[in-house]
Amino acid sequence: MFMKMSARKTAVLAMALVAIALPAVTCAQTADDEAELPDYSRKGADTCFQCHDDQVVLAIFRTKHAMPQDPDSPFGHGQLQCEACHGPAGDHAGRVRRGNERPPIPAFGSMSKTSVAGQNAYCTACHAPDTGFAWHGSSHDDDTISCADCHTMHVERDPVLAISTQADVCFDCHQQQRTQAMKPYAHPVRQGKMACTSCHSPHGDTPERLLAGNSVNGTCYDCHAELRGPYLWEHAPATEDCSNCHNPHGSTQPGMLTMRAPMLCQSCHSQVGHPSLPQDARGLADNMPSELLLGQSCLNCHDQVHGSNHPSGSKLMR
Amino acid sequence: MLKLKMKSGRTLVAALVLLAPAISLAQVDTSEWACESCPFDQGYRAEIDVGATNVSDDAARFGNYTGYDEKGTYADVNGQGRYANEGYRVDWYVEDLGLDSRVVEIETGKQGVFGFNVGYRDLPYRRFDTTSTVFNPTSGDTLTLPGSWVPASTTGGMTQLSSSLQQRMIGTDRQIVDIGGNWQPDDAFRLFADFRRQTRDGVDITSAGSYTQAAFLPRWIDYETDQIDAGVQYRSDSMSVTLAYYGSFFTNQNPSLTWETPFLTAPGGTSLRTAREPDNDFSQVSLSGKYHLAAGNTVIAILAASGRGEQNADFLPYTINPDVVTSALPRSSLDAKVDTFNYAFTVTSRPLDKLRVKFAYRYDERDNKAPISDWERVIVDAINSRETEQNVPYSYDRLHTIVSGEYTLSRKWRLAAGYERKEMNRDYQEVAEQITDLGWGQVRWQPAAWLDIRAKGGASQRGIDRYNDTIAVSLGQNPLMRKYNLAYRYREFGEVVAAVSPLELPVSFSVSALFADDDYKESLVGLNGAEEFRATVDISWAVSESASVYLVFGQDRIDAHQTGSEQFGFWDWSAFHEDDFDHTGVGMTWRPRDSRFDMSFDYNRGTGKTRIALDSLSGGPSTLPTLESTLDSAHVEASYEFSDRLHGTFHLRYERFDLKDWALVSETTLPTVLTLGAQPYDYDVYAMGIGIRYRFGDGTISLVE
Repeated sequence: MFMKMSARKTAVLAMALVAIALPAVTCAQTADDEAELPDYSRKGADTCFQCHDDQVVLAIFRTKHAMPQDPDSPFGHGQLQCEACHGPAGDHAGRVRRGNERPPIPAFGSMSKTSVAGQNAYCTACHAPDTGFAWHGSSHDDDTISCADCHTMHVERDPVLAISTQADVCFDCHQQQRTQAMKPYAHPVRQGKMACTSCHSPHGDTPERLLAGNSVNGTCYDCHAELRGPYLWEHAPATEDCSNCHNPHGSTQPGMLTMRAPMLCQSCHSQVGHPSLPQDARGLADNMPSELLLGQSCLNCHDQVHGSNHPSGSKLMR
Repeated sequence: MLKLKMKSGRTLVAALVLLAPAISLAQVDTSEWACESCPFDQGYRAEIDVGATNVSDDAARFGNYTGYDEKGTYADVNGQGRYANEGYRVDWYVEDLGLDSRVVEIETGKQGVFGFNVGYRDLPYRRFDTTSTVFNPTSGDTLTLPGSWVPASTTGGMTQLSSSLQQRMIGTDRQIVDIGGNWQPDDAFRLFADFRRQTRDGVDITSAGSYTQAAFLPRWIDYETDQIDAGVQYRSDSMSVTLAYYGSFFTNQNPSLTWETPFLTAPGGTSLRTAREPDNDFSQVSLSGKYHLAAGNTVIAILAASGRGEQNADFLPYTINPDVVTSALPRSSLDAKVDTFNYAFTVTSRPLDKLRVKFAYRYDERDNKAPISDWERVIVDAINSRETEQNVPYSYDRLHTIVSGEYTLSRKWRLAAGYERKEMNRDYQEVAEQITDLGWGQVRWQPAAWLDIRAKGGASQRGIDRYNDTIAVSLGQNPLMRKYNLAYRYREFGEVVAAVSPLELPVSFSVSALFADDDYKESLVGLNGAEEFRATVDISWAVSESASVYLVFGQDRIDAHQTGSEQFGFWDWSAFHEDDFDHTGVGMTWRPRDSRFDMSFDYNRGTGKTRIALDSLSGGPSTLPTLESTLDSAHVEASYEFSDRLHGTFHLRYERFDLKDWALVSETTLPTVLTLGAQPYDYDVYAMGIGIRYRFGDGTISLVE
C-alpha cells in the first residue's frame, strides 16, 4: 500500500527536481527591449467601434463598466472609455504600413504583451479601494493571476459572480478541488447551489487559506450557526477546528468525515473498554453485528459530537 | 495627446502601464470623445425560460440540492431581466422557480450612489427516502410509540416492529432571505448593511442510548438564524478603512427531544430526553484598514476584531426518569460567554522591481468564560453515576507568523520561498503548547507564453512542549495515545503544476500533482501516518470556431495508518486505510455562428473506493468489505432558434449512483440498536425537459447610427 504511494511521491519529487534543475541549463536574462507607450486614440470608443462592433465587444454596454451616469465608470464623463482598460490605442488604431502587422492593443488583447501586473494595474486603478489593497500580496497575486483570468468583462452576467457558475471558473485552476467536489459527500458546489466564495475570499483579505471568515470555524458557523455553542460539554477538537474531522471540499465518507468511524474516533479515544477495541470484519452484519461498527458506529450512542448542553451530557450521549 | 516615450526594460514598461491609468486621465484630452455610437443600456429587457421536466423515478439523492427528488413532472421557470434608465437600474434573476431549489434575486440602485438588493434562496437537503421508523411525532420535540407497542430487549424480539414501521423521508429545507443595501454619500465614504435570515426545517436523524440499547430517532429540525453585516468604509486613493459589525442570532424551536424507548429498560426509564442545540448569539466589531505606500509599492494591512458569543439556554433536568434521584442542578443555565479576539498585521512590499516580500502576523484567541460547576451524571436516564464532574471551558490562542519572498530572476524564472510559524496555546488539554514551523520553496519557469511550470515543496514540523499524561489518564485515556491534532507531526509536501497553451494550436493542456506525507512518529497509539496524493489532467480543444471539447481527469488518494490497544497498553492492533477517488469528465459545446441550433454535453464519472484492513491480537488479519461509490452523471442541453425572440429548449439529465456501504443496515440487523433501515443508494434517474425561451426587449446590441 505504502510502496505504491512512495512510487508516486518519488515521481512527483523527480518532476520537481527536473523543474528546479532546468534553470541551470537554460537560464538567460532577456535583453531589455525598447518600448514606448503609444498615443491614445483620437475619438475614444467611437474610434474603436469602427472595427470592433461585434456582439461580444458591445456586450460591455450591458455591464457596470459602461454606465455614463457614474463618473467613476470607464464610460463616465471624461473617462477613457475602452482605453481605460485596454490602454492607449493610438498605435493600434492608426495607419499601418503595408506588410506590417497592426500593433496590439496594450492590455487584455489576445496579442497583448503587457505583464499580468500591468494588466491588473488597470483594474486596481479603480478597484483598489474595494479589493485591490487586499489583493496586493494575496495568494492569487503571488501566483500572478490576472483579474481577467477569473472575471469576464464583456458579458452581462460575469460567471464568476454568479453562484451557479462560479465554481467552473475556479476549477479551471483548482483542479484538485474539482475532483474533491465530485466526491459522494460534498457541499452543493457541483450542483451550482453554493459558490467557492461562500467560504473563501479570493481577493485575499485573510492569511488563513483565504477564508471569508476570521477562522475555519467562524466561516463554518455562517451557515451552521447551530454548532457555535458554547456548550456545557464541549468536544475540544470540534471547538478548535471543524477540519479536524471534516473535509469541506468533499469526502468519500458520510458527513464529509476525513476517515470512516469508528476509526476516526479511535484516532483520539483509547479509553479502556469499547473505545479501544478493534472493529473488524467480526462485527459485520453477516457475522456478529456490532453496534460499535455498524449504523452510525460510535455515534449510535455518542451522537452529540459537536457538544452537549445537557447536564448529563458529559459523554456526549444526551 | 499624451505621448510618452522611453527606453527601458519590460519591467519598466509594465510599471508605466501600471501608472498609465492614473496619470493619463488628467493629461488626455477627451473633449472629442463623444461616444456618439455607444449603445448605452436603456429601457427594459428580459429573458424567460418556461418549460416542464419529467423525472423518471423517486430518488432522494438525485433531488439532493436540486429538488428533483420525486418521480413526476416539475415546472421549469428561469429568467433574468433589467430595466435601466438614466443610471438607475433594476436587475432581477430567477432560477428553478418550480423546484425546492429556487432562487429569486432583485438588485436595484444608481451605480456609484446607492444600491439595494433582496434575495430568496431555497436549498433542499435530501438524505434518505428508504428510511422507516416506529416513532410518531406528537410535537416537534416529542416522539411516541404506537399504542400497541410491546417493548423488548432486542430488536429481534420486537413483535410489533414490522407492522409499526412507517416510511419517513430524511431531509431538510434551508431558506435564506437576504436584504441589503449600500450608500455612497461621496467618493470617500460607503455605508453598507445586510440582513440575512436563514431558516432550516425538516427531519434529520439523531440517535441516543437507553440503558444498554440505542435507537435512531427522526428529529424535527426548526432552526432560525438572523445575521447582520453592517459598517462604514472610508476610501481614498491610498487607503481604505472599514468599521464593521457582524451579528449572528440562532434560535432552535426544538431545543430538546423526548421519546419513548422501544426497548425494555431501567425502571422509570420508558420516556427519555436529550438536549439539542441551544440558542446562541454572537456579535463582533471589527476595524480593518489598508494603506498603500508609494515607496516600495508597499501595502500595510491591519485587522482588529473583538467578538462575544453568548449561550444561556435553560438546562434540562439531569433526567426525566422519576426513579432516579439526583441533586439539584448547580445552575439553571450556563450563562456562558466566549470572547474572541483577532488581530492581524500584514506588510507586502516590492522594494525592488524584481523582489516582492511579505510579512504577516496574526493572533486569534477564543476565551471561554463559561462558569465551571460540579455536575452529576445520569447515564442515559437510567443510573446516577454518583460521580462529580466539572465542565471544561476550552480556550485557546493561535499566533501565526509568515515571512515570504519572491524574486524574479528573469522573464522566465522566478523563485519564491517562505517560512511560517504557528503557535497554539490551549487550556485543559493534553498539549498546552504546540509550535509548527513550516518552510517552503517554489520555482516557476515560464520559458514562453505557452508554457508555465511551477514546482513547490516544503516541510513542516509540529512540535509540542509535552504530552501531559496526567490529563490523559484523568480522562481515562491510554497514556500511550497521542491525539492526532495534538501530537508531534512531521510533514513533507510537494506540488508540480504545468500548463501548456500553444498559441498556434487550439489545444491547451495542464497537469498537476501533489503529495503530502504526515509522520506522527512519536505516536505509539493513535494515528501514525497519513499520505495524500492528488493528480489532475485537463485537456481542452477548440475544434472549430463553433465547437470545443474538454477532457478532465482527477485522482485523490489518501492512505492512513493507525494503531490501538485492546489491552490498554502497547499497541496490539493496527488499521490501514486506503481511500481512492477518481473523477473523469468529458464534454463538448457546439454553437455554430450561422445555425439556429446549439447544444452542449457533459459527462462525469466519479468512483470511490475505501479499503480498511485491520490486524489485531484478538481477531488476526481482517479486511472490511470495500466501501464503493460510483456516480455517472450526464447532462445534455440544446436550443433551437425559432425567431430572434423565441427559442425552444431541451435538456436531459441522467444520473446513476451506486453505493456499497456495510454500515447501512436494516432495522433489525443490530440486536441493541433500532435503526431507520436506510439502504445504500442505488438509482438510475432521467430528468428530461422541454421549454421555450422568450426574450423581451432588445436582444441584439447595435451601435447608435
